[in-house]
Amino acid sequence: MEKIFEEIKNTVIAGKHKEIEALVQKAIQEKANLDDLINRALIAAMDVVGDRFAKSEIFVPEMLVSAVTMKKGLDIIKPLLKEDEEKTKGKVILCTVKGDLHDIGKNLVAMMLEGAGLEVMDLGVDVTVERVVDKVHEIQPQVLGLSALLTTTMPEMENVINLLRDRGIREKVKVMIGGAPVDAEFAEKIGADAYGEDAAEAVMIARSFIDLQ
Amino acid sequence: MKTSSYNLVMSAMFNGRKGERPPVGNPTSIVCHGLMDAAGVSFPEAHLDANAMADLALAGHEILGFDTVMPEYSVQQEGAALGCVVDWGNRDRMPDNKNFPYEDFSDVVVPDHLLEKPSMKVVLEALSILRRQVGGKVAIVGKVMGPWTLSYHMAGTQNFLLQIGMGETEKVTKMLRQLMPVTIAFAQAQFQAGADIVVMADHVTGNLVGPYHYKELLLPIHQQITEQVKGPLILHVCGDCSDRLEYFAQSGVDAYHMEWQVDAKMAVEKIGQRVSLVGNVNNPQVLYQGTSEDVHQQVRYAIAAGVNIIGPECAIPLATPMENLRAIVEAASEGY
Repeated sequence: MEKIFEEIKNTVIAGKHKEIEALVQKAIQEKANLDDLINRALIAAMDVVGDRFAKSEIFVPEMLVSAVTMKKGLDIIKPLLKEDEEKTKGKVILCTVKGDLHDIGKNLVAMMLEGAGLEVMDLGVDVTVERVVDKVHEIQPQVLGLSALLTTTMPEMENVINLLRDRGIREKVKVMIGGAPVDAEFAEKIGADAYGEDAAEAVMIARSFIDLQ
Repeated sequence: MKTSSYNLVMSAMFNGRKGERPPVGNPTSIVCHGLMDAAGVSFPEAHLDANAMADLALAGHEILGFDTVMPEYSVQQEGAALGCVVDWGNRDRMPDNKNFPYEDFSDVVVPDHLLEKPSMKVVLEALSILRRQVGGKVAIVGKVMGPWTLSYHMAGTQNFLLQIGMGETEKVTKMLRQLMPVTIAFAQAQFQAGADIVVMADHVTGNLVGPYHYKELLLPIHQQITEQVKGPLILHVCGDCSDRLEYFAQSGVDAYHMEWQVDAKMAVEKIGQRVSLVGNVNNPQVLYQGTSEDVHQQVRYAIAAGVNIIGPECAIPLATPMENLRAIVEAASEGY
């Protein structure tokens, strides 16, 4: 079983999206423990991919194809998970803030967090402050991730945090921010809980917030 | 050498004779709310009307003191002509395209009379207006999108990058080669219309794609572009491109416009003898949120490093305070 887990892991790392489904099917036929298959093959692969990205050994094209490969494998496993196994480890809401249409980083984070067993609600791009906060109130996620690529839209992040506070739910969710123009100093200034320099770091932060719950 | 804006910029483009001070230039937009108010011209009309476009560009020189005038503020002029539905934005928001006409990577059809399309024609007319107004006195800078950026607009950025990740080299190269003539034609037309320099913005952005992606997929195309476009060219690429400077130096461009993440000293040492360097005052932390002292510090650092033309690192945030833009000019006026 270890051998096939390693093969699946390497297939995701290499982004061999045409080969993953057959391999995952084979593992399932060989009665692989599904939780192990997800954690030790798929998530472990994305941990390696994230690490390589952080070291600039690979870039967004390779991250994307690995994430797509991982998702293809996960889509085969998901319907087989029993109801109790389906209970997610946590909930995350992601969005790109109002006025901003950039979403690659956010999409990568979404794919990788889903692969990690989290329930991800991706609100998309150009999302109003009110909609974000309404959804946080409704869904009660552990983590809210806000993305912006434009300096003109950075202030929306602070607006979200302020509205969470006004509605009395700021303490109920961890807020992480990311995107090219923001940094750790800005995150502190606006009262966010964390700043992720890239998608891989954002995933680590989200997972650490949920593990601490 | 007579100290005129034009002379200072053109000499600096080729690392030539220095004047009393380094030139201050903008390969990318320096439009902010303050400049719009001072010029009496706003977005979106400055993207679509030649006189408005030219007036706002001129304001960069007459009101702020930049040595260049650059009339193209958006990155969507070619996209609109090639079939993108463009939202031209407003005073607070730059234009953006709402669709990707070639997300299936079918053959790109470049329309006949491309240069007559309104979004292309307006730039050429604005350049001609500026040539009549300040030709020979202030350096007139045009701008084109390179084939990589155009591919983002045609196919969608994530889609394009995913195809690269999937190893679809033939598909990707085909699109780049089909878009290359657009870059060449627009650049040549801009020189004919009155540009002294043309910026080619091509977003093989640092941290987005690797240096090996540039080398394999785009460098050969840039070399063909620079072979055919004879006028002075500045390459603009965002992000930390420290790892690909050597390749940029091989592309045939005359200058590279860099972001703050590229250390000016290192860049000048590495490629400064082969291409001129332009930039690279930080936008979000310094120009937008910083003080004029912060700006002064970065400008003096760039000058000491040997950057040839001083300016912001990229198109500035629309809420940038005017005093910080003036601070660039003031810091450069202190000389070398």
